[in-house]
Amino acid sequence: MYFFFQIALSGIATGAIYGLIAVGYSLTFMTTKALNFALGMWVMLGGMLTFSLSVQYGVPALVALPMIVAGLFLLGLVAERFSVAPFLRAGSDVWVMSTLAVGLLMIDFAEIIWGRSPTPVPSFLGNTPVRLGPLSILPQQLFIIAIACVVFFALDLFYRRTLTGKAFRAVAHSGEVSALMGINTRRVQAASYAAAAAFAGLAGFMVVPLTLAEPQMGTVLGLKAFAIAIIAGLAAPRGILFCGLIYGGLEALISGYLYTGIRDILGFSLMILALAIKPEGLFGRPVEERA
Amino acid sequence: MSRKLAGSSLAAVAAALFATVSPVSGQDIKIGYSGALSGPASFTGLDIKRGAELAVEEINAKGGVKGRKLVLVSRDDEHNPVRTVAQYRELVERERVVAMIGATNSASMLAVTPIVNDTLKVPVICPATDATAITENDAAKAGKENYLFRIGMYGTGQANFIVDTMVKKFGHTKVALLNWTGGWGVTGRTELQRRLKENGLTPVADETFDSSDTDMTPQIIKIKNAGAQSIVNYALVRENTLVVQTKQKLGDDTPYASAWGIAGPAFWKAAGASAEGVLTSTTITIDGPQSPERLRLIDTYRKRYGQEMDAPSSFFGGYDAVFLYALVMERDGVDPKAIRAGLENVPAFKGMIKDFKRPVFTKDRHNAITEEDMIMTRWTNGKMLEIKYDDKGPYVDIDEKTKKYLDKKNLALM
Repeated sequence: MYFFFQIALSGIATGAIYGLIAVGYSLTFMTTKALNFALGMWVMLGGMLTFSLSVQYGVPALVALPMIVAGLFLLGLVAERFSVAPFLRAGSDVWVMSTLAVGLLMIDFAEIIWGRSPTPVPSFLGNTPVRLGPLSILPQQLFIIAIACVVFFALDLFYRRTLTGKAFRAVAHSGEVSALMGINTRRVQAASYAAAAAFAGLAGFMVVPLTLAEPQMGTVLGLKAFAIAIIAGLAAPRGILFCGLIYGGLEALISGYLYTGIRDILGFSLMILALAIKPEGLFGRPVEERA
Repeated sequence: MSRKLAGSSLAAVAAALFATVSPVSGQDIKIGYSGALSGPASFTGLDIKRGAELAVEEINAKGGVKGRKLVLVSRDDEHNPVRTVAQYRELVERERVVAMIGATNSASMLAVTPIVNDTLKVPVICPATDATAITENDAAKAGKENYLFRIGMYGTGQANFIVDTMVKKFGHTKVALLNWTGGWGVTGRTELQRRLKENGLTPVADETFDSSDTDMTPQIIKIKNAGAQSIVNYALVRENTLVVQTKQKLGDDTPYASAWGIAGPAFWKAAGASAEGVLTSTTITIDGPQSPERLRLIDTYRKRYGQEMDAPSSFFGGYDAVFLYALVMERDGVDPKAIRAGLENVPAFKGMIKDFKRPVFTKDRHNAITEEDMIMTRWTNGKMLEIKYDDKGPYVDIDEKTKKYLDKKNLALM
C-alpha cells in the first residue's frame, strides 16, 4: 500500500499545479469564449521572475509572491489590450494566434534575459521531507496542494458571493445581455485575462523549486493543464481542481504501475475521449438556450 | 532569388567580411574551430575555444610551429548542424585552415563527417562529441582515409565503462536503468542495455522520464522495489537534479551513476547536497590532487576568464588537440593529409588529460581515450573526485593526505 499512496501523493502535488494553471483557461473562456493558449509561457515568466527576485536579488519569497502575482496581472492587462481585445471587438478568431505569439515572444525574451540553462531556485520551505506516517513529501509539494485548495475555495466564493463575481458569471452567460444590464463587459473581459495571467504567475512561483527555472519550463505544463481544463469542462471552475488532482495522481500511478512512456499517451487520449463523450466536460453543464 | 541562394550568398558576404578581419599573414598556420559559442551548450563550446586559444598562445610564445605563427579561427555554430556544415566549408575553403577542432553537438559532427572525409579532407579532433559513429564512420568501415579523431568520451565505450564499473568493480548484479527520453538518453539507454546483456545481465528495472517531469517518485520507488543495487543513466543536469532530489526525499540511497552530462560544476550548483555520492564517468576532473601543470592552467584560466572552469574535459580536450597538431606539424609538415597520417603515428604524448605512453591514435583506433582511460568520479562535498582502486578496494583522495575508502554497497565514504 505504501507504493500506491506514496506515488499518488506526489502525483497529486503535481496535479495541484496543473489545476492552478487550468483555472486560467477557464477564467478567460467563461467571459470571452477565448483562451490564452500561451498560459504555460506565463507560468514560465512567473518562474523566471521568482528566480530573479529570490535568487538574484534576495527578496524573501513571501514578499516576492505578491510582487509576481501583481506584476503578471498588470502585464496580463497590457497583453489583453493589444493581443486579444482588438480581435474580439472585430469578432475575429485571430486571438488564437496572437496569444500564442505573445507566448513565443516571452520565451525569446526570457532566453535573452536569463539564458537557456536551467537554474535552481531553492524552496523557501527547505528541502527536508515532511513525514506523514510512512509517506514522505517535500514541504513545497504540501504547500502547493494547500494553496491550490485555498485558491479554488476563494474562487468559488468569489463567483457565488461577490458582485464582481456575479458580473463575471453574467458576462459568461451572455455578454450582450450583461452589457444591456449595465455591466462593463469590456472591463470584465480584460480582468479575467489578467487574472488568468496572475494565476499562471502563482503557479510558476509554486512549481519552480521543483523543476528548476528555464525558458522552456512552462510549455508542457501549459499543455497538460489545457487537457485538464477540457476534461473538467472549461466552464466548470470547481471541477478543474478536482480533475487536476485526479489527473496528476493517475499520471503518477500509470508511471508507477505501467510505464512512464505511455503516460502522456493515456492522458491525452483521455482528453479526446472526454471531448467525444461529453463535449462540455465532465463537470460542465450543456448550454441550454431558452427561446 | 530562392532562399537557399540567398542564404549562400549571405554566407559568402559574411565569409568575405570575416576574411578581411581575421589577423592573418601568408605565413601563419590556421587551425579552425566551429562550435556553440552562444546558447545553452556554450559552456562547453567556450571551454573548447579557451583551451585551444591558450595552447595556441603558449606555442606561439615559444616560437610557433616551424617558425610560423599558429592562428585559431573560431566560428559560432549555435549548436546547429546546418551552420556547422556551412562553417566547415567556409573555414576550409576560404580560410584555408589545415586542421579543425570538433564541435559541441554530436548531430553537428555526424553531419560534417562524410563531408570532411569525402571532400574537405582536413583532420578533425573532437573533444566533446560522444556519438560512436563520428569516428567509427563509413570511411573507417570502408578502409578509406578517416579524418575524424576524438579525445573525449565516446558512446559505446562510456556505456561499457559505466556498466563494467558497477558490475565488475562494485559487484552489483541488480542494475536498474533510468534514462531521459531525449535524444542522448535514448541512445544511452540502448548502449547500457547492450552492455548489461554482454555481462549476462538484464536490468531489474528499465525506467524513463521526460524533460517536463516535476517528480520522479514512481520511477524511484519502482526501482527500489525491484531490489536494484545501483541505478545507471544518461541524462543532463536538469533531469539528474530531479532524480537526486526525489531520491533524497524518499530516503533512497541506491548508488547512482550517470554519464558525463553532469561532469561539471553546474550539477552541484543545481542539485546541491542531494548530489552527494553520485557517480559520473568522464575523461578528467580538476578536483582533488592535481599535477603542477594542470594547476598552472587552472589558475591561468581563472585569471584570464574571471570564472571557474565549467567543462574541464572540453577545455583540456581543446588544449591537448592543439598541442597534438603542433607536434605532428613540426614533424610532418602542415599539409592536412600529412597531419592526418601523422596523428595515427604519435607513439607517446604527454597531454593534460592523460600522459599517453602508447600511440595516441592508431589506424584502427581514432579514439584517444579508451575504456581503460575513462575515469569514474564521485561527487563529494561539491567536488568531483576520481575513484581509484587498491587492494583494499575503491577510494577517493579528499586531499593530498586524506584517503577515504568507499563502501561498495552504497558507495558511502567509510
